[in-house]
Amino acid sequence: MIKAYIMILVYIGKLGEVLDKLRKIENIKSIAVTAGDYDIITKVSVETLEELMEVTDKIQLVGGIKRTTTSVIEKEIEL
Amino acid sequence: MKIRIRKKYLFYVLLILSAFIAAVTTSIDGIISYFYISNPWVFGVSVFLVGVFITLFLSLILSVPIGNNKSIGSVIDPSFRRIRFVKKEELKYHIMAGIGNTVSTLGYLYVVSKFVDPSAVLPFFQVVILYLLIVESLSEKDAPTLAETESSIIVTFGAIMTSISLSGEVNVMALLVIFLVMNPGWVLLAIYQRKLKLMKIGDTHNDSINIRLWNVIFTTIFMAVFVFIYNKDYFFEAINASFKFYPWLSLTMGVTFFSYVLYIRALGLGKASIAQAVKASTIIFAIPLSLLLSHYMNFSFSASPTLLVIKLMGIILVVLGVATFALTEVRAYVFINAQGDKSIKELMDEIWGIRGVVAVSALAGKHDLIAKVRIRTLGKGYERIIRRLEGIEGIEKFMWQSILKEWEEI
Repeated sequence: MIKAYIMILVYIGKLGEVLDKLRKIENIKSIAVTAGDYDIITKVSVETLEELMEVTDKIQLVGGIKRTTTSVIEKEIEL
Repeated sequence: MKIRIRKKYLFYVLLILSAFIAAVTTSIDGIISYFYISNPWVFGVSVFLVGVFITLFLSLILSVPIGNNKSIGSVIDPSFRRIRFVKKEELKYHIMAGIGNTVSTLGYLYVVSKFVDPSAVLPFFQVVILYLLIVESLSEKDAPTLAETESSIIVTFGAIMTSISLSGEVNVMALLVIFLVMNPGWVLLAIYQRKLKLMKIGDTHNDSINIRLWNVIFTTIFMAVFVFIYNKDYFFEAINASFKFYPWLSLTMGVTFFSYVLYIRALGLGKASIAQAVKASTIIFAIPLSLLLSHYMNFSFSASPTLLVIKLMGIILVVLGVATFALTEVRAYVFINAQGDKSIKELMDEIWGIRGVVAVSALAGKHDLIAKVRIRTLGKGYERIIRRLEGIEGIEKFMWQSILKEWEEI
């Protein structure tokens, strides 16, 4: 299982539209709208790196997205 | 298509559903004890004896696979695959939760059997919320904030006001049993069920269906042994009653099963004290059900104006308290870059030790670590998180990203 955070920057005025489309993409486990350097932070869970690339591709193809930054999780501790 | 809802609401939706089902169960229990099994000791043992079978039966149905490594039960709890035996590492927690459930149930049975009007004292059972707050504040990671303490007190007293009866007398012995036996028993049950839910079994979190199944099994064993020692006649009467009234007993334990499964799942998402406070809304659902029962079955339901005003005030307090819990939560991601003079693993452990941090991930990419934090107020974010992060050596810089809205897959 490979997990990654994908941080997204969105063009002004496109946030609602982008969120609606992101919520339809499989393998995205959580979507958070944030205030700060990034507009949206998503957490993705996939089986292979190739699947991760597919999810990243799908996200990048969503209209209204300016840039994405992907960070693969190497180790995780959570409640 | 997957369903995604806002996670903080999932916690409350699960608990309010659980509270509603618990109110239905209470009504069924009322019918059983009024018409069929009046001796509470016999009722207690027989309901658990039948409960083992009905819980096992329901768990088996929920284990039926529906493809894609999922079963019917994964609709209720996505971590559930199929029923299984207790793992070695779970055993001590199951024993503690089983003892907690037994002690709490026996305390309840004692109060019901000894005092004419238990509704005058049983509302004090809600004080268990405050017990849980104290236990959590002793374990540093979960120390309650002022907002949590205030809301918990509001809910506790609201629940007491809503469910209290003005007809019975407040008996000191009954209150002692509630405060020294029932409430501590329930704390054991809640804390250890939460520990079980947060355990990792294989690559996923423990599931609430197996936890409930095994809790019923352990509680039945402890309860049967205790009642057998206390009074053999009651024990044999209970076996008899479980054959005679099994349809009613199956109904109550079958419905209770779903209430507990939802409650245990919620325990994995939030603090036990807050879960308990939200679940206290069960007393609101119990009022219309009591009215229905009083209408159809000639139960007496006091409708004196004083009592109704007190109950109404209680309901308002419970709703206010629960709404405050739901609306006062701040979540954030903190992106951290390390200096390089300390191992990432050491940094992860230090960050994990900060109160309010609910997840830490080591990353490959632009940032070295991401911490997810959950706090009650932004002020606490500074005091608890930022100041602690500033004190950790080996952090070069960090960036706070407040979460404005969040959806999670359920």
